[in-house]
Amino acid sequence: LPVMSKQGEHMKKFKNKGKDTDSLRRQRVEVTVQLRKAKKDEQILKRRSISFSVLGQSLSPGEDKRDEVIPLSLEEIAEAVNGSNTKLQLQATQAARKILSKQKDPPINQIIELGIIPRLTEFLGRSDNAALQFEAAWALTNIASGTSSHTKAVVEAGAIPAFISLLSSPHMHISEQSVWALGNIAGDGPLYRDALISCSVIPPLLALVSPATPVGFLRNITWTLSNLCRNKNPYPPLNAVEEILPVLICLVEHEDKEIISDSCWAISYLTDGSNDRIQIVVDTGILPRLVELLDRPELIIMTPALRAVGNVVTGTDEQTQAAIDAGVLAVLPRLLRHSKTSIQKEAAWALSNIAAGPGQQIQQLITCGLLPPLVELLDKGDFKAQKEAVWVVANFTTGGTTEQVVELVRSGVLRPLLNLLLAKDSKTILIILDTISNLFLAAEKLGETERLCLLVEELDGLEKIEALQNHDNNMVYRAALNIIEKYFSGEENPDLQPGTDQDGLYDFSVEKQDFDF
Amino acid sequence: LLFLQRVLLLVASDVDALCACKILQALFQCDHVQYTLVPVSGWQELETAFLEHKDQFKYFVLINCGANVDLLEILQPEEDTIFFVCDSHRPINVVNVYNDTQIKLLVKQDDDLDVPAYDDIFRDEEDEEEDSENEHDGSEPSEKRRRFEEDIIERTMRRRQRREWEARRREILFDYEQYEYHGTSSAMVMFDLAWVMSKDLNDMLWWAIVGLTDQWVQDKITQMKYVTDIGILQRHVSRHNHRNEDEDNSLSIDCMRIAFEYDLRLALYQHWSLYESLCNTSYTSASLKLWSVQGQKRLHEFLVDTGLPLKQVKQKFNSMDVSLKENLREIIEESANKFGMKDLRVQTFSIHFGFKNKFSASDIVYATASLMENVEKEGPETTNFIKALDSLSRGNLDKLHQGLDLAKKQLRAIQQTVTSCICTNLVISQGPFLYCSLMEGTPDVKLFSKPVSLCLLSKYLLKSFVCSTKNKRCKLLPLVMAAPMDVEQGTVIMVGIPPETESSDKKNFFGRAFEKAAESTSSRTLHNHFDMSIIELKTEDRSKFLDALISLLS
Repeated sequence: LPVMSKQGEHMKKFKNKGKDTDSLRRQRVEVTVQLRKAKKDEQILKRRSISFSVLGQSLSPGEDKRDEVIPLSLEEIAEAVNGSNTKLQLQATQAARKILSKQKDPPINQIIELGIIPRLTEFLGRSDNAALQFEAAWALTNIASGTSSHTKAVVEAGAIPAFISLLSSPHMHISEQSVWALGNIAGDGPLYRDALISCSVIPPLLALVSPATPVGFLRNITWTLSNLCRNKNPYPPLNAVEEILPVLICLVEHEDKEIISDSCWAISYLTDGSNDRIQIVVDTGILPRLVELLDRPELIIMTPALRAVGNVVTGTDEQTQAAIDAGVLAVLPRLLRHSKTSIQKEAAWALSNIAAGPGQQIQQLITCGLLPPLVELLDKGDFKAQKEAVWVVANFTTGGTTEQVVELVRSGVLRPLLNLLLAKDSKTILIILDTISNLFLAAEKLGETERLCLLVEELDGLEKIEALQNHDNNMVYRAALNIIEKYFSGEENPDLQPGTDQDGLYDFSVEKQDFDF
Repeated sequence: LLFLQRVLLLVASDVDALCACKILQALFQCDHVQYTLVPVSGWQELETAFLEHKDQFKYFVLINCGANVDLLEILQPEEDTIFFVCDSHRPINVVNVYNDTQIKLLVKQDDDLDVPAYDDIFRDEEDEEEDSENEHDGSEPSEKRRRFEEDIIERTMRRRQRREWEARRREILFDYEQYEYHGTSSAMVMFDLAWVMSKDLNDMLWWAIVGLTDQWVQDKITQMKYVTDIGILQRHVSRHNHRNEDEDNSLSIDCMRIAFEYDLRLALYQHWSLYESLCNTSYTSASLKLWSVQGQKRLHEFLVDTGLPLKQVKQKFNSMDVSLKENLREIIEESANKFGMKDLRVQTFSIHFGFKNKFSASDIVYATASLMENVEKEGPETTNFIKALDSLSRGNLDKLHQGLDLAKKQLRAIQQTVTSCICTNLVISQGPFLYCSLMEGTPDVKLFSKPVSLCLLSKYLLKSFVCSTKNKRCKLLPLVMAAPMDVEQGTVIMVGIPPETESSDKKNFFGRAFEKAAESTSSRTLHNHFDMSIIELKTEDRSKFLDALISLLS
């Protein structure tokens, strides 16, 4: 039966309910909407030729006058770099660096075509000439900051080992520049990231972290470390992760916001994977700190911390329990009510995975007062957040005990849930219909079917479900039909009469004030 | 304007929009373009209609709605969705102006838009990047970073320049968005389009005339603009209608003819009695101060002066003696001049269907607007819209007559309300503006829960108030008017209109002011109307909202 197979598919999305224990939790669906929006912004800013009054003050008339370097043509640069006069070499390298550092459209391709990259790489090794080393390192950093092919040009000239040995340069500004260059190379993707790791970039990089390191330098190091943790397919090697983690744990305790932010991002990358990778992070005992950071007002800190914690609760029941023990349930209500919709959505996503846990975790969720903010979000949240909230309810009704489900209904979840049946998104509708079936299963156990029927009708749910029988989507139509036939067909089953009421203990009715709006 | 696909037409609820819509429908019909028409009365409906249809349609035409907000921001359309916007609301949102891929504005070339220059309001992405590290928005760190010239002085210089640029941008946008006003009538823009395509018909021309007349009746444009546009249309009228002049009496019954006229500024008089029209026209009623006993006396003196027998004046215009009608305009104008009504003569157009039926453009405007805001429920929301739209077709005289009856009722209701507001001193000065609130239970109050009727009432009331008050300062004030909207939900509808002065530029600052007042008091308001100066507000929040408005404008 197709209904059954759909059910099976659905089950796989919850942890511990299907057979495939590895892919139980829902992984993040990439946020395509944001990308779309970014594109949109680009498009908006195309000029329309209506009228162009030239801006009175030009941006940079006087600025270049301070430049002490005589501007050289690209040919002159190439010639001097390849020549043997050290003074000219330095001048030309600096000129190249300046060209590559200007704000708009640096001519990276042209510089690469000059064929000077091998030579610049060679300059990195001139430990007798620190100025030349620095200028070359900066120029190469900016070339590597371009596209993948630009980075490739730098790597293929042999810059990786050269930069790694410069990490230990006695001159701090040179080792800082090297950290930056290596960050750009690592950021290119898993291939170069692993190439760096196998060239032993990690020990000298970690050695730079000390209480005496200036904040600016430390920011660069943290960012580069985060790039070494970043990207999947494949994930970074486990031993590298184990090497970096202890230092990340220290960095996340730093007081500088950017350092905290980048180290949280690193941790979020490390937790975005299989349960054994999550375990390594959980074992460091970082969770309490992450939960503490969830309470920070700054978005640059809260966002990656929430991402990391959200990743952890996709893991095993024990890993999820560790997050709960660290106090995540206490901060989630605030996040569910956060003004930024992306935060609401991430928070609801995390909660949906906690609701997918065993009964006692669901119980904690209730005890910590998550139901009221959940109902609010379901009612008034942004649609993307509402979808996540629907998942919370779906998971809850799948794994919760009958008593817990009763508690959920009493918190007023039914009205906003039924309202969302008007959504345009069939997948969401299907999940809601499944959830409603789950609610009826619970009601049947209590002999309260009739009452739930009444409640659904009273909230205009029945007409919405009936309307769905005309839905274009076949699965929606069938699921709706199924509910109608089973519970609203009119032939009243004598077993389900309200007479079997169990002394009002499991009262489905919600307090009246929840109804009127 | 070549459509190959089905088009969704979203049309606002005003007479000008209906006229533009009629012209476009005729054009579509002659090009065999398939379309679906959806009336929208406010932003909420527009958004819902868009969401409902966005999967089936790529092309959307918006008439008299959409120009003054960032459409891409509020509707979040797919990238291949294209909007054609024909809207007289000004100012046009700058993003709409500068996006030429998804937003196609239909605007008359010689309309003075005063849009800020591109470089003053937008910066290229690269400039943004430099400061993006300061904008703690919580997005993922970049994968690669370039190191820029790190001269600290330069950096701070640049940052300072940027701040200055931003301050300037805010100032420019503030100036640009401060006032709401109206550009060329959408019906005229649409007619222009038809003319350029050589597909203009006499019917379309009439709709363009009605559209422009709507702007004039609703007091949306300046006298200058009205006269200029009348001139443009007059050239088209003589082009289309000259051939009939020689064969004056050979018109067949279904033939229509448009004529330019100097007519009396008396609402609906040809379908009413002269007396009723004089009493219920805002211009005459305000000038003669008809709310007072002296006013009524003045009216009689005026009629005596014209020499017209009272019995004739009070009977249906149709049944008046033909001999009296011959020089009627001149007679009335002469007496009006003596009574200080120098502007009783207006330039307008009239239409003849065969011999029997003659309507002036303003008759049509009043009738159509009343049909659209008919408060007597007859079926679903869209019924009024469709009826109003139909009444514009020449085959639907019965609907038109029904509209005229409704319009008379409306004008009477307005006149009575104005009288009672002035006689019971309901218009109070709040300092920076005048304020008048209609109570629940006032006769005809239901009529004024609709935006067009309420605006009309406000304009009439302000005109009359200015004539009634001796306080010179009050004569120069704008008016805020509130009326009950939905008693069950406890909401009022509120409108703000600019001062009633001769040189008025018809620019309205209440849109922004309402927005700010609502924001600062977190009042529960709904800015749903396409005119930002019309809002809905929870009754309980009204007093704090007004307090904020007063201190904001003081």
